[in-house]
Amino acid sequence: MTDSLLEVRDLQKYYFERDTFVDSLLGRERRSVKAVDGISFDIQPGETLGLVGESGCGKSTTGETLLRLREATGGSVRFDGENVFEMDSDELKAFRKDAQIVFQDPFSSLDPRMTIGDIIAEPLKIHGIPEGAGDQSKREWRRDKAGELLERVGLSANQLDRYPHEFSGGQRQRIGIARALALEPDFIVLDEPVSALDVSVQAQVLNLLDDLQDDFGLTYLFIAHDLSVVRHICDRVAVMYLGNIVELGPTDELFESPKHPYTQALLESVPRPSTAEHGRRVEALSGDVPSPRNPPSGCRFRTRCPKVIPPDDLNIDQATYRAVMDLRDALVVGDVNPDHIWEAADPERVDEEAFIEEARSRHVAAELRGEVAGAVDTALGHLAEGDEERARETLRRRFESPCETRRPAVGDAPHPAACHLFEGSDEVTVIETNESAAIEADD
Amino acid sequence: MADPILKVRDLTTRFFTEEGQVNAVEHVSFDVEDGEIFGIVGESGSGKSVTALSVIDLIESPGRVTDGEIWYRNETLADEFRGSTPDAVDGDFVDVRRLPKGVRRSLRGPSFSMVFQDPMSSFNPSLTVGEQIAEAVEVQRRARSNPRSTRSRTQGYGLGKLVADTLLPSQRYVSDESMDRAVELLDQVGIPDPEDRAEEYPHQFSGGMLQRAMIAQALAGEPDILVADEPTTALDVTIQAQILNLLRDLQEHEGMSILMITHDLGVIARMCDRVGVMYAGEIVERGPLSDIFDNPVHPYTQGLLGSIPDVDDPSTRLEPISGNVPSLIDSEMPNACYFADRCPNAMNDCLTRIPEYELDGRHSVRCVLAEREYDPNDAIDTEVYADD
Repeated sequence: MTDSLLEVRDLQKYYFERDTFVDSLLGRERRSVKAVDGISFDIQPGETLGLVGESGCGKSTTGETLLRLREATGGSVRFDGENVFEMDSDELKAFRKDAQIVFQDPFSSLDPRMTIGDIIAEPLKIHGIPEGAGDQSKREWRRDKAGELLERVGLSANQLDRYPHEFSGGQRQRIGIARALALEPDFIVLDEPVSALDVSVQAQVLNLLDDLQDDFGLTYLFIAHDLSVVRHICDRVAVMYLGNIVELGPTDELFESPKHPYTQALLESVPRPSTAEHGRRVEALSGDVPSPRNPPSGCRFRTRCPKVIPPDDLNIDQATYRAVMDLRDALVVGDVNPDHIWEAADPERVDEEAFIEEARSRHVAAELRGEVAGAVDTALGHLAEGDEERARETLRRRFESPCETRRPAVGDAPHPAACHLFEGSDEVTVIETNESAAIEADD
Repeated sequence: MADPILKVRDLTTRFFTEEGQVNAVEHVSFDVEDGEIFGIVGESGSGKSVTALSVIDLIESPGRVTDGEIWYRNETLADEFRGSTPDAVDGDFVDVRRLPKGVRRSLRGPSFSMVFQDPMSSFNPSLTVGEQIAEAVEVQRRARSNPRSTRSRTQGYGLGKLVADTLLPSQRYVSDESMDRAVELLDQVGIPDPEDRAEEYPHQFSGGMLQRAMIAQALAGEPDILVADEPTTALDVTIQAQILNLLRDLQEHEGMSILMITHDLGVIARMCDRVGVMYAGEIVERGPLSDIFDNPVHPYTQGLLGSIPDVDDPSTRLEPISGNVPSLIDSEMPNACYFADRCPNAMNDCLTRIPEYELDGRHSVRCVLAEREYDPNDAIDTEVYADD
């Protein structure tokens, strides 16, 4: 295996709330928002690694933290063997020459008061390039270089003296790419480079990025939320959820046989532009992404997972188990209000059975039978008496999933998925190893 | 074939700005049939949102609907106006644009209703979600007891208001019945614990929940036609799936018709029965889903479909449309097909305004290719033409 260009190990980025001097005077405890919570991946030279996830999963923070545009809370990033977080300012400047970024919003990432010639030449100026330019003045040399870059990204060199507002979104994104290319970097973080663009223009920019990679031997970290774009441009893909990587694998393998239930749900949700899509009903994930202030214990996806694992000694089908787990989550986040249930069931607050029935019809989206119904009814009985704590505890004791007690590890397989469904199943691991061995042999 | 509930004919909307006249919507015609989802797809600036706003009569200065007819099927209104304004009535249909202003306004709610793109900015942050939905219910309730009067509450701020509120007995605009109905609506759109959530403010809702709340608000008047303007664009893909399922369920259970505006051809494919493709203010191609996706005639429709990366098949290189979306300022618009300068199949015939050609009654297209084959000898040099 070749040496990785970039090695990210256990990268963490926490933001802290209530972290001011006044807060400490008032004795408030600071609260962390775990934007990125211990992720690891490698990027090989010349490859494109995709980082996908929904808003708030920490993908952009990852991109900015690994370039040290934000200070990491923990972990390490090695670029070409050197630890980025331990670099002094000279080394950091040299690193920034090799590693560039293209931002999402082509409207706010270009200074409106600079001509695009100056915008593209600015990185050169900062890094003192060129050291000498022969007969030309350095300024002229940089201007010529900016013109070349502009032509390379599909604009015309005679537009150098125009201002950003004179260009459309797609053209501005090309300018942002030209700026990133100015220092001839090895590695570019592309942070949602096409998500602000219309599809016809998006396709132009994607083709451009493809061509540039071939011509300059670039390595990309491609951050995106659009799975079709990721499939199109990436060699390998990492899927993020709530600050963790849940699955990482070669693009085709990951899209054709996704392992993690979250990846499966994401792929299932994407509307396909074809007639076969008409009327397709997606089994949508229930609920919203939980807050990173207070992420769920164990597996972070368990509150929405359609394959959450029931305890060994419980005989229950998945739909019923999901419904019970949704009731438990609703109790935890305070979506169950006994007063409203009493009001609808029996305003006199006597008939406990009516309460239980009403609560079940409101909050449990499945028919319950046997032992499951018994345990749920006992818990709802406690709720009727106003003891929410005990209701939660009763349900926890009977229905606690391995998914909430243990955090699934990502593992070292070539196509790892952080899910308990893939732990300890030797067969899967063996197949994976064989496949990767075959791939390596081909290389 | 179901009957149309809405027939839009030659709708034209212009904005009169300092930079000049902007032709945002040009002679747009389409039908929305009873109980169907009709989709309008286009890129930013193609005029799709302005079309939606024009239909529901929400265009504000400096914009104006300058031409066209919006025929809405409503027997009661047709009978009422047959005598007084015969021009505005055709069978069971009334031309909304020719009705008096007050009547037009009273249609918003029970006839037309709208869901906007950005739920975060569409709610008033200083009122609870329940109160805002109840207000929509209340407006309809008062309108029923006193038709044509849909006066809504004006909210005051400032010291005087504060003092008045403290001293005077409560003068809530919203009645308890409306509040109960708001809770029912929240329940109907799948919001857990609606009684409590109704008391919360918009910032306490997630984007997906707020979009559900906005749909609840739009349902308050039990509309015949729901106009949904990019209802899932601001949402993540898993939440988008929830909202699309919800819209489909509501449409089936309530028998609503939906006019769906989006830039996402995938959403169109999942939801819509028929589609109109917009470019530079015109509907360039219109027809049933299968005609548009499997047999597109207009080179723009083809280009749009060729630009989308396929999530199931990464092998092909994308074939983008060259160039950029044109300006819609009147003085800069050519007296030619608006797509000619980006079109791979542009011919000399394209240098005049192109009418709408009917292909087979259901499928129409604004392109000469409907009538003739592409002839390379007749091609215009798009490079030269684009530099004009």
